[in-house]
Amino acid sequence: MLQGLTILTQPIIFMQLTINGVAMGMIYALMAMGLILLIRAIGVMNFAQGELLMLGAFITWGLTYQVKLPLPLMIPAAMLCFALVGVIFMFLVYWPLRNNSYPTATVISTMGAAMAIREIATITWGSLPLVAAPLVKGVLRVGNMRIVQYQYLLTIVIGAILIFLVFMLFEKLYAGRIMQAAAQDKYAAELLGIPTILTTAATYIIVVTLASVGGFMIAPVFLVNVTLGSLQLRAFAGVVTGGFGSVKGAILGSLIIGLVESYSSAFTTTYKDAVVFLVLIVVLLFRPQGIFGELIADKA
Amino acid sequence: MDALCKPILRLDGVSKRFGGVVAADSTTFSVFPGRVHGLIGPNGAGKSTLMNLISGIYTPDSGTIYFDERDIGKVPSHDRARMGIGRTFQTPRFLQRSNIRDNLLLGADLGSGYGYAASYFGKKVTGFEAYLERLLAIAGFSFAWEDDISSLPYGQRKLLEIVRSLLSNPRVMLVDEPAAGLNNREIENAMALLDFAAKEKNIGILLIEHSMDMIMNICKDIVVINFGKVIAAGNPAEIQSNEDVIVAYLGRNLDA
Amino acid sequence: MSEKNNSNQKIIVDLKDTSISAISIFKIVAITAAFIAFAVYTPKFTNAYSMMILNISLINFIAALGLSVMLGMGGQLSFAAVSFMGTGAYFVANLTNGRLGVAWEPVPVLVGAVLFSAVFAYICGSILFRLSGTYFTFATIGLVQVTWSVYLNYRPLCGGPDGVSGIPVIRFFGMSPRDYHDWFYVLLIFVLLAGFLVERIRRTRLGRSLASVRDNEIAAQTLGVNIYKTKVIAFTVAGALSGLAGGLYAMHNQFISSDIFTFDMATTYVIMAMLGGVNNTVGVFVGALLVTMLPEWLRPIQRYLKLTYGVGIIFLMIFMPMGLAGLGNMILKKFFRRKKGQKETLLTDEDETGGEV
Repeated sequence: MLQGLTILTQPIIFMQLTINGVAMGMIYALMAMGLILLIRAIGVMNFAQGELLMLGAFITWGLTYQVKLPLPLMIPAAMLCFALVGVIFMFLVYWPLRNNSYPTATVISTMGAAMAIREIATITWGSLPLVAAPLVKGVLRVGNMRIVQYQYLLTIVIGAILIFLVFMLFEKLYAGRIMQAAAQDKYAAELLGIPTILTTAATYIIVVTLASVGGFMIAPVFLVNVTLGSLQLRAFAGVVTGGFGSVKGAILGSLIIGLVESYSSAFTTTYKDAVVFLVLIVVLLFRPQGIFGELIADKA
Repeated sequence: MDALCKPILRLDGVSKRFGGVVAADSTTFSVFPGRVHGLIGPNGAGKSTLMNLISGIYTPDSGTIYFDERDIGKVPSHDRARMGIGRTFQTPRFLQRSNIRDNLLLGADLGSGYGYAASYFGKKVTGFEAYLERLLAIAGFSFAWEDDISSLPYGQRKLLEIVRSLLSNPRVMLVDEPAAGLNNREIENAMALLDFAAKEKNIGILLIEHSMDMIMNICKDIVVINFGKVIAAGNPAEIQSNEDVIVAYLGRNLDA
Repeated sequence: MSEKNNSNQKIIVDLKDTSISAISIFKIVAITAAFIAFAVYTPKFTNAYSMMILNISLINFIAALGLSVMLGMGGQLSFAAVSFMGTGAYFVANLTNGRLGVAWEPVPVLVGAVLFSAVFAYICGSILFRLSGTYFTFATIGLVQVTWSVYLNYRPLCGGPDGVSGIPVIRFFGMSPRDYHDWFYVLLIFVLLAGFLVERIRRTRLGRSLASVRDNEIAAQTLGVNIYKTKVIAFTVAGALSGLAGGLYAMHNQFISSDIFTFDMATTYVIMAMLGGVNNTVGVFVGALLVTMLPEWLRPIQRYLKLTYGVGIIFLMIFMPMGLAGLGNMILKKFFRRKKGQKETLLTDEDETGGEV
């Protein structure tokens, strides 16, 4: 414990861990945001979120190293693939179940989808980890101390940009407001002539894109492999820590989870997982509504 | 009102607002055992809110609710039910995936007061079937035990909700628009059930209803509210001739 | 609504509907017969290896039964089954194999494991049910991660990555099962015991209260159901069942390690329960059997097994969310019911809205 503290109080290490934590937090935030958007739009938890991130990593890897597209072409091609994945995902996992009277059924079907995506990835790309080169090579140095790979900084920047874009979409743009309206009351939206099938599809495309970009950013750091899917648990933790149903809360919660995870590595490497979720459980104990959330009472 | 008789339920200056909407504005009235009290008012006047406040689904911003002269402000909803505050809803609330037997037994469970362990190790609700038969004779319909609740027509489901509440042996019943969606025959049966509850079981009943026939027929006391405020209280004759009530219902002063 | 008017004349309560009780009798007879056939004939056609898998499926059933209480009866999706299986398994392992210097009698230790898991589940449930719905489900995932991480890394009690081996088998009055065939019968006893104990819940106040929590929380409250307490009790019962399953697993395999207490395994239990029919004990049994045995039967398509599995789950949820049991019940009802012209009235959506403010 004391040893951990002395490590943590060294400014260089502290800075490294902070940047690491924020970068990972950004990745979790991209997934967490998607989770909240889906919960809002269709009221269902997506247990395939991590697998979507993983699939994003594989798709971008495939386009870069198998199709051998240069970056400027790879990005639009990847976007197209993400949109396609989003639409397929929606029509397979959500659309047939939308009028189902058992809400758990939709949740379970996302678990089935997670399994299927994992297997498709294994069958297509094999189970060995694949190496992806970082977008920006090199390491940030202060003096001659290596602080952190540029990829981490880039992740933070890209994450921030995406978060900003999503906020702009929902706050400022007409399309975003329509999507929000449709999410709040499907029936009324239909009556007003809002095509909820399109707004739902758009939500799915956004969600898949967010997660996939996360996968793309993280691929150089973690290698591309099927276990990337397990990162979704951190996003879950972020959602709960931040607060219920609020996108802002989920983002902040994810950053907190990223930082906690990063700092805890100064104390223990074996129980890193446990620390993250212990934080989660402690938060629940003292603030069941999450750090930034308000307790939503679902009363008559 | 009977001076000798103590109220079973008393609201004292109860207020509740939702944002800018005042749903209850220092409402004060009492419910006495064995009487049917009508609670009327235009749509959105705050009638159902009052019921939700009494049954503990909402907490009042200010004011006190007394049950049997005890302040129940801090008592959670389910404990209020255990104390004897029964409730039915505008749209009946049943367990859609359970059969009729289980739905009714839930009411009887509450009446019996047996805990989970007692029930698990074989304590059964006594006299349940006899009482149920008596109630269904008044309600005027029958069903098969194991049928799904959804196999009953809407009107019967509403009656069955009153029956379920009676099975829990309440001391006060909050009955929210029992006549809405019922045919004439079913309305009569609903009135008979409420009459039985008040007269035979000495239950104090607070009845929200838009059907004036029903209200004037069955209620001895009527409370009229509008915009969360009590605008009139008294017996049916007084209410019918009350100026404020007429204004509230017709929206303007007739003399003007 | 008015077409029922004429039948209103009949006032006597028809508390017993013959056609329905015929279904119940048929079900009981069929299930008993199938179970006896299963108990008698399966061991004859099964080799030792398959027998072991079959036994595991019986143990899985007991754990999945906890999910049936939580999800089927109470509508609360929990992944925590593996956490409490772990407490049960490591409890048994540590107190019977002598690694802590004690090697107690297996049966009392098993009872202790169940109690220990139940208490642990009660504490966890009390914390986790401060959340509701999906957020509760999240939190159970957190619990699974924490416990798994402890099981994987904590050497003094859990053996670390090596696991714990040398666990003695169960022993009743000096008699122990000699092989997997013997184990089969031992486990059948536990299966029956657990099955009946859970079925009993359904028929008592706890079961009804859980159903009310699942279907209509407002109705539950006004019927005096303490929602929080009811959920915690269900979680405790589920924890006890998982603890039993874990303890049996430890004694049956004589070895445990953390890789059966992962989140992936937790999803497998959910799938078992959902496949068979989450609110149906027999369904859960069939589900546990199918999900555990399927990988063995489908060896030829090993490579595509999990893919088929995943897609299968999606289709299952689309076409029969109440699982095989739901399907069976529907067929039985169609078969038995000489309908008396009673029309199904449409369910009105009355869950959250429906009250004027």
